[in-house]
Amino acid sequence: MNPTSSLRCLALACCGVILITIGGCSHWIEMTSPPADTNEQASQVIARDEQVPLILDRIHTSRNGSPQNPSSESEQRILSSLADIGLFSHLASANAAAEAVGKTVRAKLRVDEAIDPHAGGAALKGIVIGASMYILTPFLPLEYDYSAHLTLELERWDGEIKRYESQAAGTARYHLFGATPIMIDELKGHVTETCLTELARQIVKDTTFFSASSAPLFEPGIRTVSVKSRASSTTSSAAPAITVVAPARMAP
Amino acid sequence: MTRSPYAALITIVSILFLSITCQAEEIVPHLTVGSQEISLSAGYLLPVRLTDDHSTKQSGPAFMPSWTMVLTDPVGWRWLRGQLMLGAEIVYIQFQEPELTHGVGFTPKIKWMFEGTGRLRPYIEFAGGPFYTDLAGQIPEESARFNFILTAGGGLSWFFTPQWSFNVGFRFHHISNAGTRYPNLGLNSGLPFGGFSFYF
Repeated sequence: MNPTSSLRCLALACCGVILITIGGCSHWIEMTSPPADTNEQASQVIARDEQVPLILDRIHTSRNGSPQNPSSESEQRILSSLADIGLFSHLASANAAAEAVGKTVRAKLRVDEAIDPHAGGAALKGIVIGASMYILTPFLPLEYDYSAHLTLELERWDGEIKRYESQAAGTARYHLFGATPIMIDELKGHVTETCLTELARQIVKDTTFFSASSAPLFEPGIRTVSVKSRASSTTSSAAPAITVVAPARMAP
Repeated sequence: MTRSPYAALITIVSILFLSITCQAEEIVPHLTVGSQEISLSAGYLLPVRLTDDHSTKQSGPAFMPSWTMVLTDPVGWRWLRGQLMLGAEIVYIQFQEPELTHGVGFTPKIKWMFEGTGRLRPYIEFAGGPFYTDLAGQIPEESARFNFILTAGGGLSWFFTPQWSFNVGFRFHHISNAGTRYPNLGLNSGLPFGGFSFYF
């Protein structure tokens, strides 16, 4: 083989390696639930003295049906998303807020996450990619599905409850060399943002419902809460969980 | 010559378990899809003669830098629960016996890391790929310099921080030329090893 053809072969091999490396490094996110049409968003106006504070009572999080501890990061994100609406005078979590006096809106959020990392497919493709000495990396994308269903209950100071729901799903498709933990965070961030935007859109429609003059503040009376054990969703859990259900006003 | 690696291995394992019992703080690695591992392991190759036709007592140090990536979140049931990892490894062996020769190979590898106790995670791994050695021709088992190496083994990773782990394990190596030239009896070896991994 003469030097010219050797050089050509080497150049071709280098190009092949570069193409495989570049092709094998990409990742992209597909949202299967597109964000709500922004044209539908109708802005409302509320006077400053009509705004009431919102207290985030509780966040219940589950992942693939199993309960999880909500992080303070997610709590902050939800609060800032609600703050962006401009409907409430200020927002706080139940842990941070002092005993609410006057008209307040209390919020309870349920976040149901579903994750499908396609473990079987990833294993099979991984074996094929490895066996091909990584040549097939650009041709065998891997997948990671994430979906979230948010249910927000807002309880007005007079006990009236409004319930809002939103859901979104997305898939991260990536080639082996493009996989990073940040990519999964990006996917979760996009899905959560879509859900929160949809919730905000629904809440804005009820601006008048949450304005201070929409309902009178009940006179201080004896308020009760029901204390009961929660039916366990798993058979192995023996310890009953105690929940405080929505406060109800007792008739004077 | 063959005793010293075993003594070193026993010492390392003893230090490891003493360290575990002394550590009260809980350190749990957080490995998710896309987490990557860079590892450097070293060991001493010992001969495994499976038949009477195998006569070579090959031995020598081996160095194995590797890279792997976590492909799945934890999956599986009970003690089998773990994460699949895919990566590649360069294996370099300096054969000190029967002749001072060298071998180097590149092997894609697949690894199953069990959840274990959190900071103590066992694993099994398989690898295979091309292997070039100048030992061939000087021993009756191998005639070609271009060979393939197949590896199967297991080990134990002890995370002393969420990102760093100390690993010990044992591997079985088979080196042969896949019938491209004869004779092709193949070289079989055991390889006790230790090393460190960094996860990011």
